[in-house]
Formats: sequence, C-alpha cells, structure tokens
Amino acid sequence: MQILEIEDLNSGYGKVDVLLDITFSMKAGQCFGIVGPNGVGKSTLLQTIAGAIKPKSGSIKLLGNEISGRNPEDIVRSGLALVPEGRQIFGGLTVMENLQLGLTGRADKKTSHQAIEHVAELFPVITTHSKQQAGLLSGGQQQQLAIARALITDPKVLLLDEPSLGLAPNIINNLFSNLKRILEAGTTLLIVEQRANLVTKFADEILILREGLIQDRLNKIDAQDENKLKKAYFGLGANE
Amino acid sequence: MIQTILNALSLGGTYALASLGLGLVFGVMRLVNFAYSELITIAAYTLVMTNQLPIMVSFLFSVVVTSLAAVLMELLIYRRLRGAAPAIMLVASFGLSKLLQQVYELCFGALPRSASIAPWMSGELKFAGVSITNASLITAILTIVLLLAMRYLLNKTSFGIQLKAASADFRTARLLGVRANHLISLAFVMSGVLAAFVGAILVVGNPQVEPMFGMNMTILALVGIVIGGISSLPGSALGGFIVGVILSLLNTWLGNGRVYSYSWLFAAVFIILLVRPGGLLSKGQEMERV
Ligand SMILES: Nc1ncnc2c1ncn2[C@@H]1O[C@H](COP(=O)(O)OP(=O)(O)O)[C@@H](O)[C@H]1O
Ligand SMILES: [Mg+2]
Repeated sequence: MQILEIEDLNSGYGKVDVLLDITFSMKAGQCFGIVGPNGVGKSTLLQTIAGAIKPKSGSIKLLGNEISGRNPEDIVRSGLALVPEGRQIFGGLTVMENLQLGLTGRADKKTSHQAIEHVAELFPVITTHSKQQAGLLSGGQQQQLAIARALITDPKVLLLDEPSLGLAPNIINNLFSNLKRILEAGTTLLIVEQRANLVTKFADEILILREGLIQDRLNKIDAQDENKLKKAYFGLGANE
Repeated sequence: MIQTILNALSLGGTYALASLGLGLVFGVMRLVNFAYSELITIAAYTLVMTNQLPIMVSFLFSVVVTSLAAVLMELLIYRRLRGAAPAIMLVASFGLSKLLQQVYELCFGALPRSASIAPWMSGELKFAGVSITNASLITAILTIVLLLAMRYLLNKTSFGIQLKAASADFRTARLLGVRANHLISLAFVMSGVLAAFVGAILVVGNPQVEPMFGMNMTILALVGIVIGGISSLPGSALGGFIVGVILSLLNTWLGNGRVYSYSWLFAAVFIILLVRPGGLLSKGQEMERV
C-alpha cells in the first residue's frame, strides 16, 4: 500500500520556485533518504509535506487522503510528523513540557501515558532529565528529545531533516540505531541527510535532489556503491 | 507610609495585569495591540451603563462584553493580517484604536459618563492605625489572586505550555499539533478578561469614563512590557508592576510636582533600557513568525 504519494509538487517562497516538479511515493514501512547539495530545497520539501509551507501546485497524499494545503496542526493529527532541521527544541520549556506539546498533535489522547513510557524506553533522557530546561541538554540529548516529541504524536510517517547535524560520530551511531528501531517498529521514514553514507546503509531508496527535481533514484545496492552515488549526486553521466 | 506602599503595590499590580494582557497577544502574534486601550474603555463603559444592576452582575456582564470584543477584534481584523509585516500590524492596531474611540464618542458622547460604582468601595478600613480604602484593599487582593491564577495557567496547564511554545516559535508549535486559530483566539479572550479587570479597577478609582479612558494605562503598560522584556510573559508582568510602582511613588512624593511624574518615569525607563536593552527578563533573539 502507498502511504505517501507526492505528485508534481511545486513549492517555494514568494515568487521563487525552489521545488519544480517532485514526484515519488513510499510504501508503508519503507525508509527513503533524500540527499543533495546545500540550498537545493531538501528542507523546503519536508516543510511542504508537513504543511508548514503551502505548496504552489501538485498533490500530497497520506494514506490516500489529499493533505496538500492543509494546516500543519491537522497534518500531524492525520499521522505525519516532522523533526525539523536544527531540532527546534523549546529551550525555555522543560523536557517533559516539550513532550507534552507533542501530545497535542496526538489523535488518540487516551493512550498518552503509554506513549510517553514507550518513547522513554527508546530515549532514556526523557525520564532522567524530565524536569530540566530543554535548552540545557547536550546536542545529542536535544536530538533525542526532538525525535521523541515527534514520535509521541503517533506518526505513521516520520520526516527527519538532517538529524545528524552538529553531532559527534558516536552520538550519530546511537541516533541511527534508534532510527532503525523506529523503522523496524513499522514507522515509515523519510530522512534528509547531507552525509549520504549514513542513510545508504538502511534506506530502501535514495532520492537525489538537484535543481528543483529528483534527478536520480538509487536502490539500496546502488546507493552503497560509492562511485554510483557520487556520480548521481554531482550529476555526472554514467559514461563520464 | 504603609498606605503609600499599599497604593504603590496595588497600582503596580494593576499595571502588571494590563501588561500581561498586552503581552499575551504580543507573544502569539507579535502584535502590539493599541486597541487594548479600547477594551479597557468598553469594560469601563459597560460598568457605568449597567450601574443599576448588582455590582457582581454588572462586572460579569462587563467581562463577557470585553472578551467578546477582544475575540471579534481578532476574528474580523487581526486574523486577516496574520503574518503581515510588523509595521502593517502596528498601523492597523493604531487605526483600530482610533476608530473605536470615534465609535465610543458616537455612542456615548465625548463627555465623561460617570456613575457611582459601589459607593461602599470608598469607605475606609482602619487597622493598627493605618487606614486603607476598601477599593485599594480589594484591588490588591484581586490582582494578587489574578496574577497567581495567570501563573498557574501559564505554568501548569496545557494551554499555558502551548502559549509559551507558540510565543517562542509558532511554526514548530504548529508542527507538533498546536492549533493556531484556537490558541490565538484564547489569547485574545484572556487578554479581554484581563482588560475587564483593569477597566473595573480603574473605574472604581475614577468613575469618569470618556472615549480615551484606557489610553494612558495602555501606553504605560506597553512601556512596562518593554522594560520587562517584550518576549517574556513574566517579564511583561514584572515590567508593568515596576511602572505602576514607580508612577504611584512619584505621584506621592512629588506632591504638586506630580505633573513631572511621567518625565521621571521615562527617565527611569531609559536608564533601565540602557543597562538592559532587551528588557529585564529578555533572553535570546527573535524567531521567525508563522
Ligand atoms: N524562509 C525562506 N524564504 C526565502 N527563501 C528561502 C527560505 N528558506 C529557504 N530559502 C531558499 O530556498 C532554497 C532551498 O532552501 P532549503 O530548503 O533550506 O535547502 P536545503 O535544506 O536543501 O539546504 C535556498 O535557496 C534558500 O535560500
Ligand atoms: Mg536544509
């Protein structure tokens, strides 16, 4: 079953088109990676899918329902959450308050308590630092909180925008092993990463974004071939 | 002396309430709502016009009218301007304020409307050699209760957490499920309720209500917000409180020279802002709005 279908999506800021014509779709439980140079529009794509930016045209379907043009607060309730670039933790609020915000986007409020316990299992920082100001957490802990906060909305599709940004290598490993567990639990993942090698290991497909278009798509096996990946990333023809 | 301190504290509390009312709306919309002044004024007019009713009924009526006016203001005007440039919102709110003053003049006339609101309020209570008017005692109790209630609401309820989050970064708050329309409407309702209390406190002290009744209060409450740190609600309340206390003390100490109270007040404001340009409780820089 297609869980996320994006067709002829055009989006940008004011008169500037950043994404020209994006089309791809994902099956439930899949993981896709999106790579591409800085400023190409990866964040714009995720923000548009999540409803923070209104698309100019095209269609975004979640579980077969059109969500393009809907408010972010409605989209999160229908099962799609975004962990934004730079984490965007509410530094003045406590860890628990940050999580409680995630609960507002949860359709099923009755199971809120179990939800907190469930994410705390994955991310212990939630219980060990629950009363602490979130702004005082380390970068890795903040990333854990950002993901936990999105997970608690009970998403079927989770978008992550450069989750490894600014984190130390061992923390990144830990992060991706957590993401793997989330994926194995059945959540569909769409991950934007500058460092392609981080996602190629467990993504089903890698989409390469350039000049407002998906220029190339690599399956798992091709994506792990560094040469093929480089060629696709820099837009070199296969025979060059 | 104790009378002076009590007056200062109770005026400080009143300004803190007004600053909170303004700060709530500024937080979620980055809007300086000059028409807050007209909310205070409509609260006062309602009290005067319904003076024949029992005071509690009249007051409840005024709370309903004022919060309704606040919600309509948001729904009909500010909602359309959401995301507009700050200068546009500023001009719109200033225009709305002036427009409403004209409307009040048409409805109630330019001359003050007055009524003796709860005459027993001007009675005095003597306690251990100190005499306190019933009005200032009630004002003091009322503001303390209200400020505590606001503190509870902001720190302990989901609404409060959502409000603080939206004030810091509305875009991310919405991505987590915070409903922008509900939250902003609620912020306006609360702002209206606070304006109703402020209007009531003012009208008890000075039952001469004219179209510009709420203006001085609003401008000084704005000064309070700036002193306290415009993006922090506790800061807003604190700033308002400081302005009220300084003003009240100046009015007492300067005696006949009280015409200069405002000059001294603004001198104090400049000094505070020179030392802490972002306000007393400011932190961090501004986030982009929705
Ligand atoms: N808020 C904005 N307003 C106008 N232009 C923007 C805004 N955010 C990003 N852009 C522009 O859109 C393009 C894509 O940005 P972005 O999606 O952040 O790229 P990426 O995430 O791939 O680095 C860039 O050229 C950037 O300058
Ligand atoms: Mg980006």
